[in-house]
Amino acid sequence: MNTLDTDVLVIGGGSTGAGVAWDSALRGLHVTLVDRQDFATGTSGRFHGLLHSGGRYAVKDPGSARECAAENRILRQVAADCIEDTGGLFVSTPEDDLEYADRFLAAARAAGMEVEEVPVGTALRDEPRLNPKIRRAFRVQDGSIDSWKMVSALLRGAEAHAATVLPYHKVVEVLRHGDRVEGAVMEDQRTGQEVRVHAGCVVNAAGAWSGQVARLAGCEVGVRPGKGVMVAINHRLARAVLNRCHLPSDGDIIVPVRTVSVIGTTDHPVADPDDTECSPEEVHQMIEAGELLVPGFREARALRVWAGSRPLLPKTGGSAGAGDREVSRSHTVLDHGARDGLEGLVTIAGGKFTTLRLMAEDTVDVVVRKLGRGSECRTRTEVLPGSESRHFYWIGNRQQEAETDPPDDPLICECELVSQHDLDTVVARRPTWRLDDIRRALRVGMGPCQGGFCAFRVAGMLHQEGRYGRAEANSALREFVQERWKGVKVISWGAQARQTRLDRWIFEGLYDLEHLPE
Amino acid sequence: MGTDAVVLGAGTAGMVAALRLAAAGASVLVLAEGEGGLPLAPAQIDVLGYRPQLVLDPLGELAGFLESRPDHPYQLVEAGEVGASLDWFLELSAPLGYTGSPRLNRLQPTGLGALRPTCLVPETMAAGDLSDGGSVLVVGLRGFRDFHAPLLAENLALAHPPSGAEVRARAVEVSLPGDPRDLRPQLLVRRLEERGVLAELGREIRSRLEQEDLVGVPAVLGLESSHEVWQGLQELVGRPVFEIPTPPPSQPGQRLQQHLFRALRRLGGEVRLGARAAGYRARGDRLVAVKVVTAAREVEIPADHFVLATGGIGTGGITAGPDGELREEVFGARVSRGGAPEQPLVEYMATQPLDRVGVEVDEEQRPLGGGGGALFENLWAAGAALAGAEPWREKSGEGISLATGFRAARLAGGARA
Repeated sequence: MNTLDTDVLVIGGGSTGAGVAWDSALRGLHVTLVDRQDFATGTSGRFHGLLHSGGRYAVKDPGSARECAAENRILRQVAADCIEDTGGLFVSTPEDDLEYADRFLAAARAAGMEVEEVPVGTALRDEPRLNPKIRRAFRVQDGSIDSWKMVSALLRGAEAHAATVLPYHKVVEVLRHGDRVEGAVMEDQRTGQEVRVHAGCVVNAAGAWSGQVARLAGCEVGVRPGKGVMVAINHRLARAVLNRCHLPSDGDIIVPVRTVSVIGTTDHPVADPDDTECSPEEVHQMIEAGELLVPGFREARALRVWAGSRPLLPKTGGSAGAGDREVSRSHTVLDHGARDGLEGLVTIAGGKFTTLRLMAEDTVDVVVRKLGRGSECRTRTEVLPGSESRHFYWIGNRQQEAETDPPDDPLICECELVSQHDLDTVVARRPTWRLDDIRRALRVGMGPCQGGFCAFRVAGMLHQEGRYGRAEANSALREFVQERWKGVKVISWGAQARQTRLDRWIFEGLYDLEHLPE
Repeated sequence: MGTDAVVLGAGTAGMVAALRLAAAGASVLVLAEGEGGLPLAPAQIDVLGYRPQLVLDPLGELAGFLESRPDHPYQLVEAGEVGASLDWFLELSAPLGYTGSPRLNRLQPTGLGALRPTCLVPETMAAGDLSDGGSVLVVGLRGFRDFHAPLLAENLALAHPPSGAEVRARAVEVSLPGDPRDLRPQLLVRRLEERGVLAELGREIRSRLEQEDLVGVPAVLGLESSHEVWQGLQELVGRPVFEIPTPPPSQPGQRLQQHLFRALRRLGGEVRLGARAAGYRARGDRLVAVKVVTAAREVEIPADHFVLATGGIGTGGITAGPDGELREEVFGARVSRGGAPEQPLVEYMATQPLDRVGVEVDEEQRPLGGGGGALFENLWAAGAALAGAEPWREKSGEGISLATGFRAARLAGGARA
């Protein structure tokens, strides 16, 4: 068994854990971060990609709104490469209360947001597909944030400060010595080998899974996973993030993300955070909700549906019967020493992607106090790797690169303009295991064809380069096809139904994937 | 306007029906919304490959297969007609050197190295039947993104044909001169038609040969002159050479399409591509004309007989709506799920809700209307438009298209007489 010594062991490689790793590393602490899968595969990789202005919470949860507004400003400075500056609009549809709009404007200003009411005509000129019957419109600083890029940048930054990051390492045991947590044992999901990590402090940043991790340590964390469903539509239906100006409910946000638009979301309590199956009813609910913001939404081509589990932490004494939207979206740092008499373990619970930096700062402040060393937090000003130029990305970046500096190797994914060179760069940076990991890094397989053409190419190339053995390539391909099916099976209509037929013909008719040796 | 028959759809089924009608003396017009389905497919003629166990004798095992599949389109045709349509196809496609028998499946490698059952193949693929084993040198072209020789060869070496014979395979990669970004099937076929390029490829392969007695290459051996390219490569290499299908656009599919289009033109028929059928005019239970959108205007094309060969959801003949409704686009014919489940299954490799969708027909292959009777007395359906088959998993697509296209023409011809 391998044994490592570290100052801080972070469990969970989503945005929260990656943020904690980056923050700790900048304070001079040695960090080891583990995740049971690839990074940002849980909730962080399964949301709509909205960088909140704070508007969504302005009326109902002013504390969260204030945090979002402040963190939004900071991330634009330090993580520009992960953000598209789309801006956002809150609009009052015919179904929304106009009096709410007044409250919204006042609350947004009070929360420190940059908010401005714009004439309806201006909003419609900027967003021609917006419902022409809207009655008021407010411009805010929403953005579109690439969660995979963000988590990857945080981890690269941490690694540059000597952090160790271990994907596919699942915690199988939390090491305890009396009433002290001293580390954990992880099992490499690829090889079955165990790694023992001794840590000065363990941070449970497993989000919706943090209850499971806490139980391994022998304590309880009352995190309640809340499932949210998202649907990706094949076009950018709007330039800006579109929000309904009303009390937050289901399907009232449309976010332009790269080449698609994402509508979200729902909120249903689930027992198991891995329960991310989407029902046809949930999908239809999203499509109908989209119709109110963008008439004709129903006719647009739905590409894929997915769900993520929010890590909601109800306040102690909060009424159990209340809906999840009653739960604050703010975060809490649980010091298990003070709370449970179990030293050496800190859980960061609740929160949201936009406030990941603040969550990390608050968590590491506690860690530093416990360890008795570590410097001041630097993440407010330290620019992340890749964002040095402070340029936001925009949808035309890949096309522009392809035109100004044409790669001399072929495109492997036409939908998302990915070349073989891009593939080689990504796999050289971090040895990957599954095609799905490459998808998150490069968006391969996320376009209209959903991997019909590119999955085979990637598997074949990685096999050729010796990164996959034969059986690994076969199972990677099978697994990818299965994973893509999960997201299209409940939206099989229109052009996408036709596409799934073509993909099925390619995998079954042309390659006969079903009868390939193991 | 003296058109006897209008065929909607320029895939296998539509072309078979059109050619049979034209050969019987009818004037025929084929209309297709796009360019027809043939350039997608690898031009192998499947009849029946899995039931779900491997099928060795498609015609012999057809009756047994159909016992458990009451909705299958093969129920419409006698085994004799399946055989007759394949014989006819073999003769018609002699210039492409089609070979095989409906009584014996061949086992040909796929691009991933699975051994896939199929029935008839063009001459350029004929040597790739590994039913009795063989030792294959799989040749990849460096930088060609749609063909990965090492993975193919390693999988192929694990194949076990039922004969118990051994399959051996080894991969090599060779370079073609020129810009690697030109390594697309539609450009490769042209380059291999250049004598110098072919000679260099042949020399390179020959120098890499060891004990192998066969050479497998991606299916890009020329377009117009595929016979000469394939033959030339065999001579240069000194071994039988066979093509292995690649993803769309399929060059063997292009060859077959051009061959069938030419054959129809020789018989006086016409193919009009980019012509979407958008509606029809009927008098009583007789179809009088189809309305076709070409060049942004709608024209009416009258005829005596009509064949619906627009395929299923994959080709746009049938559309699926968000609420689960299925619609045949031109005539509003009754659509069935062919016994497939209503809800999707988690496991991808299973029968899914849209896998068997197609139009319902009477015993005479006439699409049904809402009332349950034939929509029109002079409209017949054929091919992938018919409900009940899973052509890709069963490996049955072309056989269904040939047999039902053949029969649709006979029924229409009978009605003509």
